[in-house]
Amino acid sequence: MTAPPNALSEAPGGSAASLGDLVSQPYRYGFVTDIETEKIAKGLDEDVVRLISAKKKEPAFLLDFRLRAFRHWQKLEEPDWATLKYPKIDYQNIIYYAAPKQQQDKKASLDEVDPKLLETFEKLGIPLSEQKRLSNVAVDAVFDSVSIATTYKEKLAEDGVIFCSFTEAVEEHPELIERYLGTVVPSNDNYFAALNSAVFSDGSFVLIPKGVACPMDLSTYFRINSGDTGQFERTLIVAEEGASVSYLEGCTAPMFDTNQLHAAVVELVALDDASIKYSTVQNWYAGDENGKGGIYNFVTKRGQCRGERSHISWTQVETGSAITWKYPSCVLQGADSVGEFYSVALTNHRQQADTGSKMIHVGPRTRSTIVSKGISAGHSSNSYRGLVQMGPKAVGARNFSQCDSMLIGDQAAANTYPYIRSQQPDAAIEHEASTCRISEDQLFYLQSRGIGFEEAVSMMVSGFCRDVFNQLPMEFAAEADKLLALKLEGSVG
Amino acid sequence: MILPDAELLLQIVDLHARVDDQPILKGVNLEIRAGEIHAVMGRNGSGKSTLSKVLAGHPSYRVTGGSVLFRGEDLLALPPEQRARIGVFLGFQYPVEIPGVSNLEFLRVATNARRLERGEEELDTFSFEDLVHERLQVVQMDPAFLARSVNEGFSGGEKKRNEILQMALLEPLLAILDETDSGLDIDALRIVAGGVNHLATAANATLLITHYQRLLDVITPDFVHVMAAGRILRTGGKELALELEQRGYDWVDQELADQELANQGAPALGVV
Amino acid sequence: MVLASPVSNLHSAWASRLLEGLPAVTGDLAELQRRGRAALAATPLPQQHQEDWRFTDLSPLTALTPRWRKACPELPSDLPAPAPGTLRLWLDGRGDPLAGVVLPAGLTPLSPAELDGALGHSLAAVGCEHHWPVQFNHATAGRCLALRVSGPEPISLELVSAASQPESLLPLRLLLLLEEQAELELSQVLLGSGSSLTSLVLEAHLGRGARLRHAVIALGEAPACLLGHLAVEQESESRYQLSTASRGWALARLEPRISQLSGAAHTQLTGLQLAEERQVAVTHSWVRFEGPDGSLEQLHKAIADGQGRSVFNGAVRVPRAAQRTNASQLSRNLLLSPQARIDTKPELEIVADDVRCAHGATVSRLQLDQLFYLQSRGIDVELAANLLKRGFCAEALQQLPTAAANWRPLERLLRQGSPLGELP
Repeated sequence: MTAPPNALSEAPGGSAASLGDLVSQPYRYGFVTDIETEKIAKGLDEDVVRLISAKKKEPAFLLDFRLRAFRHWQKLEEPDWATLKYPKIDYQNIIYYAAPKQQQDKKASLDEVDPKLLETFEKLGIPLSEQKRLSNVAVDAVFDSVSIATTYKEKLAEDGVIFCSFTEAVEEHPELIERYLGTVVPSNDNYFAALNSAVFSDGSFVLIPKGVACPMDLSTYFRINSGDTGQFERTLIVAEEGASVSYLEGCTAPMFDTNQLHAAVVELVALDDASIKYSTVQNWYAGDENGKGGIYNFVTKRGQCRGERSHISWTQVETGSAITWKYPSCVLQGADSVGEFYSVALTNHRQQADTGSKMIHVGPRTRSTIVSKGISAGHSSNSYRGLVQMGPKAVGARNFSQCDSMLIGDQAAANTYPYIRSQQPDAAIEHEASTCRISEDQLFYLQSRGIGFEEAVSMMVSGFCRDVFNQLPMEFAAEADKLLALKLEGSVG
Repeated sequence: MILPDAELLLQIVDLHARVDDQPILKGVNLEIRAGEIHAVMGRNGSGKSTLSKVLAGHPSYRVTGGSVLFRGEDLLALPPEQRARIGVFLGFQYPVEIPGVSNLEFLRVATNARRLERGEEELDTFSFEDLVHERLQVVQMDPAFLARSVNEGFSGGEKKRNEILQMALLEPLLAILDETDSGLDIDALRIVAGGVNHLATAANATLLITHYQRLLDVITPDFVHVMAAGRILRTGGKELALELEQRGYDWVDQELADQELANQGAPALGVV
Repeated sequence: MVLASPVSNLHSAWASRLLEGLPAVTGDLAELQRRGRAALAATPLPQQHQEDWRFTDLSPLTALTPRWRKACPELPSDLPAPAPGTLRLWLDGRGDPLAGVVLPAGLTPLSPAELDGALGHSLAAVGCEHHWPVQFNHATAGRCLALRVSGPEPISLELVSAASQPESLLPLRLLLLLEEQAELELSQVLLGSGSSLTSLVLEAHLGRGARLRHAVIALGEAPACLLGHLAVEQESESRYQLSTASRGWALARLEPRISQLSGAAHTQLTGLQLAEERQVAVTHSWVRFEGPDGSLEQLHKAIADGQGRSVFNGAVRVPRAAQRTNASQLSRNLLLSPQARIDTKPELEIVADDVRCAHGATVSRLQLDQLFYLQSRGIDVELAANLLKRGFCAEALQQLPTAAANWRPLERLLRQGSPLGELP
């Protein structure tokens, strides 16, 4: 997330001057917090899995879940079908658990949290203290492997909404975790999901009870701080019958020369008439111009529209990470359920993104929409990979997909791999894809009206992404706009 | 209106320009003073649209000789956006569509860029909306067009009205209108022309590029220039346009041939 | 790690049984045969975990037991008369199709030396010389029909083959060199029935400004299978226009692969395939632009009915050298039965920025409002559906060479029962 609240008050669009300020600072979240951290030794074996579980004082079912996942993971091979280029990851050279010293035990109140941590999040634009916190968003702040603080827990509890760190949820609501964990993304789903299931450390848990519209947006902010630590968070969101929630996810990391692995799993469950809107503005460190450093973002995100008329919507703005491997998907099981995926993926320099969505239509009259906008600049590679599948029972189902690519410069690659499968005659699939660049005529037209070159380019790019930005919560949209301008700096002309 | 001692806005001297290495302008001379309305007429391919693109700074057109001064400043040295900011406006013959970019936002950013150049305050969203609604009346345009993407899905007439709306907002000192009448029905033509007349003052000037008399029936020019083979062949008052209407352009060929003969290979100079 | 699974055991048994029965290598293609047989012995049959074969169910192929026996004893008598001005050649995979034939001016057979120099060139250019179906063809084909096309006069050629004998194999190997500005209409009609297997590999090189209008009308009757590779190289300013239509095969897999060697050429690909009963119809196309200003116009249509499966994979490669490429691809699919399946996958890889590339895909049943409109004019629903189906297919058969149109492919594709039956 790049939505520091101090920027939220600025008018969308931003003036030329403020854009200029932004441009001078390529990645402003690249600092490291100097804090005493407890880390376990590098490497991964069954003992490490047991150790993580023990540190978290987990019930037996969870240790079982982890061990099953780990044993399965050992049998799997890292997938290579996305033809991403990166040196082989040494899974024994990663630290699987790191926590600020004082955070090992559950914090009783915010006063007990190390001020350095509070300061860190304040610098990232996420003040956690009572006085300064955002009025309309509840935040769960995750630092390396643990959750530091969750705001507005009590207020949310008045409506019966559970919003807490995953670790807390395991302690306080083990029955809910046992009921839902791994039901959308099974622990053996894929290589990275299996790895996550074995070693996941913390993350957020949300439950919106029957009939409740969550009174405020919920947000988790992920911060990787340690240089040699992997981050394996787990998010589980359940919306019961008729419930609704809008959830925002943000991420940043310091600039290191080495690569860090981030392998998260997000599971969403929507019961009858429930609705979950999940928005991400991903700004992990992308590495430098020559592709040195940056996050490997290998993430499994899936939502299950389990109930009738349920609705899950993914919106993502992917600008960071050295490598993105991510396919937020919807399994549309309940009759008349709706899945949506809106994505902007921007790659520059040596970044690689392989992202898209899977819409699995199981139930009758299910509907899905995919809008993907890929922008490739520099020497980067940007691929849309997606699947639309109409199962035999998906009578009357509909899908519309639109995948547009914008190429900036002649060194960047834009690829499109949509898989379209249908077994149901009474279902309709429509897919469109196009490629464009910023045309000289369009730029000239804007320039001839007095708009400067850089601004003209960023207007064109945000125009290209408009359909997706419209899906973002207001404050995110303005930030996303600026973020793109920032990331594209120097790539045109 | 022709005013004695009016400020010299535009001064073009012996302007040569090429497109794709094809020479198009071959020595254009033209002076425009504040308050004047000029019309450049000529056949397709005579170079009149090229002249407008060169003045606005289109990157596909390469100036190979001559000079253009705008209020004494070297216009050719400026990037296109700066030309717009100092008050040179080109109304396009074919305004491009820009999907995804909101018309209102585009108008606001453009207007503010011009205001800043003039030392005026930028307008915030609300004051700009007030201004734009006031100016919409100049071209009798439906406010709904503001919410759409720039020119996207606009009819020919709507695009031209949107051009004049931009002119009304930017308040240029020199408005160059390239074939603004093409593709307009008679009602749309009257509205567009009404807008142009409404915006013409003693402080600014208009350069109309057209090859039909019908635009000049509704906007009366002070000067009419006939362009051929990349030069201004002849200059006169509004009666010259009528003459063209009656006699057609054939006599132009004759005159060109005569001039070539007279010059015997010497560089041809236009008549100012 | 390659472990012999029961499946691959079965597959290698399939190939070795075939290899054992083949005659000794001989003739102009001896070297190619040797290499093909070695490759076939070493490579297992394609499997569905390979991306290129992911959606192709090979069981109709492995159900066959092709042997080295003549696929068709003689020219069938019920063929339509050849179109006027068209040279018809009969290909039986054994004899010399040019024996006793007077070739028109501008058409000359390649000498053995020329053939030797040209064989495999186009396959390599489009990167498929190691594909299994190509190796299979090389292992079995003993003869290649190799022609040079030159001169200003357009030439019309019709190639007819029929495989009808049980457990038979019909390997067809063709090579065409179109010289600068040469013009050829090539109509290929492939007929297959019984437990026969037709294997086709065509190489074509289009010189500067050459034009090739090419139709492949593939009419089969299960359990017959067809595997075809069309490898085409295009020099600048050449035009390659391909129309394929297939119906009735237990498995038909066609792979047109085109390389515009220096761009600035035009490629038009139109495909139509029907998959009914338990048939599998597959098209994998691949087009690569090696230079600027090339264009591609591709339309692929498919109908899946019964328990049929239709697969389309359309790869378009636009590397950095291919600025100003203009490529469009549309995959339109009708899914008419709840047991049928459609898989379609456009695949676009672009590195040049100044290009116009678009692709689209639709899958649906017949449009209900169109059906209703026809019904509301008194047309019964079955006829209305047939009219719509006809309209759907006709669009893909508009630009056939005369000789191919002479076969009335639209009627054969739409008639009840086998496309091989008599037409009224």
